[in-house]
Amino acid sequence: MTVTFQLNGEDCRFHGDPMTPLVDILRQERFLTGTKAVCREGFCGACTVHVDDEAVPSCLKPIALVQGCAVTTIEGLSSGNHPLHPLQAAFEAADAVQCGMCFPGMVMSLSAFVRDNPHASRPEIKAAMVGNICRCTGYERIVDTVADCLDQARKAGQLVGGVHV
Amino acid sequence: MSELSATVMNLPRRDAQDKLRGRTKYTNDRIRPDMLHAVLLRSTVPAGRIRKLDVSAALRCPGVRAVATGADAPGLYGIGIADHPLLAIDTIRYHGEPIAVIAAETEKQARAALAAIVLEVEPLAPVFTMAEALQPAARLVHEGWRGYEVITEGGARAGNIAWEAKSSRGDVDAAFARPDIRIVESSFTVGRQSHVPFEPRVAIGSWEDGRAHIQTSTQVPWTVRNVTGRVMQLPPGRVRVTVPPVGGGFGLKFDASIEPITALLARMTGRTVVLENTRQEEMATCLCRENAEIRIRSAVTPEGYIAGREAVVLMDCGAYGGEQVFLTTMTAHTLGGNYKVGAMRLVSRAVYTNTPPNGAFRACNGVYNTFALERHTDEICDALGFDPMEFRKQNVLGDGDLGATGQVFEADVLGPMLDRMEALRASTGTSEAKADGRLYGIATTVGTWFVFVGPSAATVNLNADGSATLVTSGVEIGSGTMVQSLPQIVAGQLGLAPDQVIVREADTDAAGLDVGVGGGRTTVSIGAASIAACAEVREKLLRTAGEMLQTRPEDLVLRDGRVEITGRPGSGMSIPAVVAHAQATTGPITGSGAFTARNTPAMSGCAMGHFIDALDIPVFVVHEAEVAVDPDTGHVEVLAYRVVQDVGRALNPRAILGQIQGGVVQGLGYALHEEVTLTVDGRIAQDDFETYRLPLAQDVIPVAADLYEGAPSMGPLGTKGAGEVPILAVGAAIGCAVARAIGKPVQQLPLTPPRVLRLLHEREPPPEFPHIAPGWAANTLG
Repeated sequence: MTVTFQLNGEDCRFHGDPMTPLVDILRQERFLTGTKAVCREGFCGACTVHVDDEAVPSCLKPIALVQGCAVTTIEGLSSGNHPLHPLQAAFEAADAVQCGMCFPGMVMSLSAFVRDNPHASRPEIKAAMVGNICRCTGYERIVDTVADCLDQARKAGQLVGGVHV
Repeated sequence: MSELSATVMNLPRRDAQDKLRGRTKYTNDRIRPDMLHAVLLRSTVPAGRIRKLDVSAALRCPGVRAVATGADAPGLYGIGIADHPLLAIDTIRYHGEPIAVIAAETEKQARAALAAIVLEVEPLAPVFTMAEALQPAARLVHEGWRGYEVITEGGARAGNIAWEAKSSRGDVDAAFARPDIRIVESSFTVGRQSHVPFEPRVAIGSWEDGRAHIQTSTQVPWTVRNVTGRVMQLPPGRVRVTVPPVGGGFGLKFDASIEPITALLARMTGRTVVLENTRQEEMATCLCRENAEIRIRSAVTPEGYIAGREAVVLMDCGAYGGEQVFLTTMTAHTLGGNYKVGAMRLVSRAVYTNTPPNGAFRACNGVYNTFALERHTDEICDALGFDPMEFRKQNVLGDGDLGATGQVFEADVLGPMLDRMEALRASTGTSEAKADGRLYGIATTVGTWFVFVGPSAATVNLNADGSATLVTSGVEIGSGTMVQSLPQIVAGQLGLAPDQVIVREADTDAAGLDVGVGGGRTTVSIGAASIAACAEVREKLLRTAGEMLQTRPEDLVLRDGRVEITGRPGSGMSIPAVVAHAQATTGPITGSGAFTARNTPAMSGCAMGHFIDALDIPVFVVHEAEVAVDPDTGHVEVLAYRVVQDVGRALNPRAILGQIQGGVVQGLGYALHEEVTLTVDGRIAQDDFETYRLPLAQDVIPVAADLYEGAPSMGPLGTKGAGEVPILAVGAAIGCAVARAIGKPVQQLPLTPPRVLRLLHEREPPPEFPHIAPGWAANTLG
């Protein structure tokens, strides 16, 4: 089966088993290894990508279901030497990262969340992280950073990541 | 001290941006299409004898390039005893044990070929529990245990007892015979904990110029090098190990496991070979924190003096001795820590069973021994009517007190830390109101850990652009050592900015020996070796500059990338100018340094079978938890958590606070819901994220932490390891707080809702250890 979709803004064509998980195409055929295959069962969130601007675990997405869709991976969120997404910049500044393997998925989940929920409270941020596991950090610094980002954006009258790809 | 002010800072991580952009290439991101993929044939029985193993049909399957079995790598490895084959040889000792490996062009082809391997196994009666293993007539998990090479001498061994370590100080019998004492006895049992690093164990092996090169996700490149040499019967110098950024370790990657297999297959095929555990394999064969059983007795006077203490600790090492053999040493310093005790004797035994082997996990046996010791301390207080906080203040180790092996502790540390906890509580307030009708408990507990120092080497090359390159075998597993504390230390020594310090990733061909990332040792040991290397660099730099400036070297200082005359900022010349002159006259400026422990002495005859006799760098913690227990569901909510941690000197306070939050949360998982159980056929039942309940964002709370500085440490600039200990006393604090909330003894972790409900309704059977003899000496090999 042939599937065509947009990958980080470019046309992309796949020939093969329509049940192939999207994460395998990204990592094994496109070498976009920022998307991490950690549990491959939809629990950890490390493989989260945007499909038509919605955050989804790419391990549970058969490639056939992205026919005609726009897929954005962590590499496409802020490509090349372009500035980091405000959440990425904030995580860097806050020293939130440890081993770092959960963060690409964390950023993809939370960047969609803050775009859609500019007034989210701390408990709502935590609820949004239910599908993203981190084994290193104990979460709180991540939550604090997201809350700070939203707070600053509200004060400035902007959306976090308003220049969203 | 200017060197200190130039070193201490909240330096952000240099690796954060690439990690956030998804650009960091962990080992399992380096798989290329031209590599062969290896898959393992693993045992589906817990114990058996291999009657037939024929791989010839698998070799003929499409895409298969090599098949290896135990016969291809006959050497045995281990930490104290060489008891572990790379692939099972004749005998199968656990469910999931690797028996054969296939390398093929694709993973799919390799998996398909597994079915072509002919394997006939005669099942043996498995020994699943330590109770079974210690029966006099128990089947031996290792029939040939007597014939194994002993790598480290000194431990007693017999049959299913892989290793026994003892400590004994003073006349314990006399203490227990005193007429004025009360005897309190407690029993505890804990299960395993799975590390769950996001990157599983994975290795990429190649064969280059007659040598193996293994790229792998490990904490111990030198161990992987040495073990690969052992099993392949090569001089270890014919193995090179390099380590890309590691996606989490937590102790799981403190031993070699699958890495040598890739070197073996690379030699057989001449190709680069990758082997990566699936998540299911990773969890089913995880070198978990071991399950353990503890009996502890204390003789306490009416005034609250602990006259005598004795304990038996049984540690399940699973099918092979591994790290547990070494960890038997730790009981003396964890269960035997915290308190002044008149006379004490402790025995810990690593016991073989037909279960997946266990290993090291952050603060290792300290986590459950601290749980046991602190719950036992509360049971003493309950039995004798002492206030738990006052009892602790009266009895915690202070200046001049003796440890279990007779080591003399320096300075009062735990006492002032308890005071600091009270001050911290006063500043945060308590959270009893949040219990909202549920059962409320609060507990303050203490813990003792130590930095296992061990040897490290470092080389510093000073470059013509004024930057310095630090070459060590240190590994960045997420704790920040290689990207924060080490560049800070080197920069502080050489008057540079941390971003001028290039840190080479671990390569056993480039850097000298290091025992690996564990026990909180990297900042201390590699830091000290780096300072020694910088001293040589400074000496050469100042000598050269002195000649150029016609000034005595002792009148020169390194500051802001310049060699300056003391007291005259802006004088002298830039470091690049001095380096350029040196390169043209005496040669490039380099320095090398080395460090190891000074071997803090134990009292003669107090430690038997120990890998280390005393604590070179003790590390203390005080943890306080507030909990609410729902009496209808048994659910435990942690309302507040406070930590006072002895850090010696905080080089990067913000990074340490990040380690404390992460370590405490890992401990909350252990205390409350991370449960590993074995199926009736000896498998680990929790082999995915659906069945193994990790802490999620909504389970956790912010930890209030106070860093206690100034306790003595031989670490550079007074540092101690800070990443290991945050997990140490979490099981203790939660266990004690829940026991107080529900008014029942807590003798087991994790405190899952069903277990808490059973405790509340007195339907949880207390641990019984018929295999632990009533008399202490009967639990030793003499």
